[in-house]
Amino acid sequence: MKPRVGIFSLTGCAGDQLQILNMEDELLDLVSHIHIVDFQEGSSHKEDGPIDIAFVEGSVSTETDLKHLKEIRERSKVVIAFGNCAMEGGIQAMRNNEGSIDERLREVYGVEPGYFDARLSKPIGEYVDVDINIPGCPVEKEETLRAITSLLHGDTPTSFTYPVCVECKLKGYPCVIVEQGKPCLGPVIRAGCDARCPGLGLDCIGCRGPVDKGSGFAAEFDMLLEKGYSKEYILNRLRVFSGEVNDDFLEEEER
Amino acid sequence: MTRKLSVDMLTRVEGHGGVEVVLDGTEVKDVKFNIFEGPRFFENIIKTVHYEKIPDMTRRICAICTASHSLASIGAIENAFGVENTRQTDLLRDLLIHGEMIESHALHVYMLALPDFLGYPDAIAMSADYLDAVKNALGLKKAGNMIHTTMSGREVHGMNERVGGFSKVPTEDELTDVKNTLESVQPAAELAVELFKGFELSAYNESDNVHMAIDPGDRFGFLGTHVLVSGGERHPQEDYERLTNEKVYRHSYAKHSTYGGAPFMVGALPRVHLSHGKLTGTAQELYKEHGDMVDPRNTLSNNFCQALELVHCVERGVETIDALLSDGLEDEGLAEFEAHEGRGINAVEAPRGLLYHDYSFDEDGCIEKANIITPTAQNAANVEKDIRVIAANHRGEDAELLNNLEVMIRAYDPCISCSVHLARLR
Repeated sequence: MKPRVGIFSLTGCAGDQLQILNMEDELLDLVSHIHIVDFQEGSSHKEDGPIDIAFVEGSVSTETDLKHLKEIRERSKVVIAFGNCAMEGGIQAMRNNEGSIDERLREVYGVEPGYFDARLSKPIGEYVDVDINIPGCPVEKEETLRAITSLLHGDTPTSFTYPVCVECKLKGYPCVIVEQGKPCLGPVIRAGCDARCPGLGLDCIGCRGPVDKGSGFAAEFDMLLEKGYSKEYILNRLRVFSGEVNDDFLEEEER
Repeated sequence: MTRKLSVDMLTRVEGHGGVEVVLDGTEVKDVKFNIFEGPRFFENIIKTVHYEKIPDMTRRICAICTASHSLASIGAIENAFGVENTRQTDLLRDLLIHGEMIESHALHVYMLALPDFLGYPDAIAMSADYLDAVKNALGLKKAGNMIHTTMSGREVHGMNERVGGFSKVPTEDELTDVKNTLESVQPAAELAVELFKGFELSAYNESDNVHMAIDPGDRFGFLGTHVLVSGGERHPQEDYERLTNEKVYRHSYAKHSTYGGAPFMVGALPRVHLSHGKLTGTAQELYKEHGDMVDPRNTLSNNFCQALELVHCVERGVETIDALLSDGLEDEGLAEFEAHEGRGINAVEAPRGLLYHDYSFDEDGCIEKANIITPTAQNAANVEKDIRVIAANHRGEDAELLNNLEVMIRAYDPCISCSVHLARLR
């Protein structure tokens, strides 16, 4: 029997499920090996019942998201945190350490608390057990395809446990930090992108999220301070895709 | 007695939305285009961020119109700092935005909207009987994505287009490959027109619509500095606040826009309706042949207009590449300029309509204030107007009404993720 697959989205830009639709060469073959029971963005067909593999993209940012997520977990054997929003809370979590949701609602919408059902953006792992993580903003097509293939064969997909710098060196790109003084996050961000940005002469902005839960952030912070970047500038870089990373290193800095 | 009909979750649209109608007999009491996509507060989170990284953040408002957001963002920054771009940069950006239209329209026209007209729940089910159409769609979409990858670095959330130009200029070989691919998908674009010209536009959706679209200049396109409004009005993009008056409603994280007290429409139909005289080549020929499918009073025409734009985009892409190749590509680096205190506003046409970015910077070039207005937020009030019109005209089964409403909303190609969290910072 074909595995029953659900593709779900919480709050985000829907870019991760778009990456599935972007597999133009593989899409028809791929869907012939699975049975899609829910894919709101791509289909009006929907089935109840158990799910073998649930892809969940987006972060939990409303009460509705949370309810939806719990229902998905309940009926799914394998839950995949699909992309940076599901895995880390996404770009919308970058200011979780600064100010409350009520202040933000007042500022952006000019409404009082309780007007909307919004909450601080959190990764799905905050509320339910996650079986597999596929990182990225957006996820890489090849990595996603590899993960699906592994799951179809009963294997566990592998993940990248080293930083972008490793791939950048393997590619032989000139280091944009050393050669150009750019604020590259390659040393602390998860590999798997083939160092795409340094390959284009750009510094890594961190879209694959922190490798090893943000170890090395303190050293990266110090290095960029030394290069002359301000504390605010560096935090605005480090937090974009790492909203939930512990920032104890800042306190050490202030001591 | 009143009764409430609703579609809780619209399918085959980007993001999370629903529709609600309250009827008393055949009288329409209330309508709502519900938007419950969670808020992401982009205008708030980009505050204090240095201009150089702003496009990397704001493009993540949306995946399917990522380059529209990045170009709107880059343009607003350049307008704030008075950056002068080269002809090469302008041509490369024009190619990029046309690529985005191809990728987005191919997905919407063929894979999300077409199943409505052929009676399938999705493109995969449709492929059992219309494999050729689905393969054409995938080929076309791939060509659009190839432009994204070549110009921007990848399909979704690229990085290569920057303030002042392109970090790495594509090579002649890369552009020649794109050109060859575009030429090979020209039939797929024309097939979309062929398919949609045959579908009758349902009369139940007819009502007056005010249209707004960018003034593309001499030739049909998606970039410009002025906004056209039905009736011959033309306004500088800096007047956008007056053109979009936004208001907050509880049922929607998207603010609703009106102009002169009335809802208005943005998207492919307004673009083609207001600027069809500027279409060229096959797109102009097809317009002349099937112009009756472009009915400004019927928003369902939007699908046909997107198909027509696909033909335009493929042809224009080839022309632009020819111009770039004949000029010869140069690794010219980014334009030089100084960041300073100031404000910049920029409008571009995203696949689903006008998009505005407005930033104010402090003396270090960091964001003090931002306002972003997306096409779907602008369309929300017009969608509610259409819901009202369709519900008032309806005399059959409730299920049929709900289906008609869903088809109408889908025809706008709404991008609900985009529409939320984007509001004025006071």
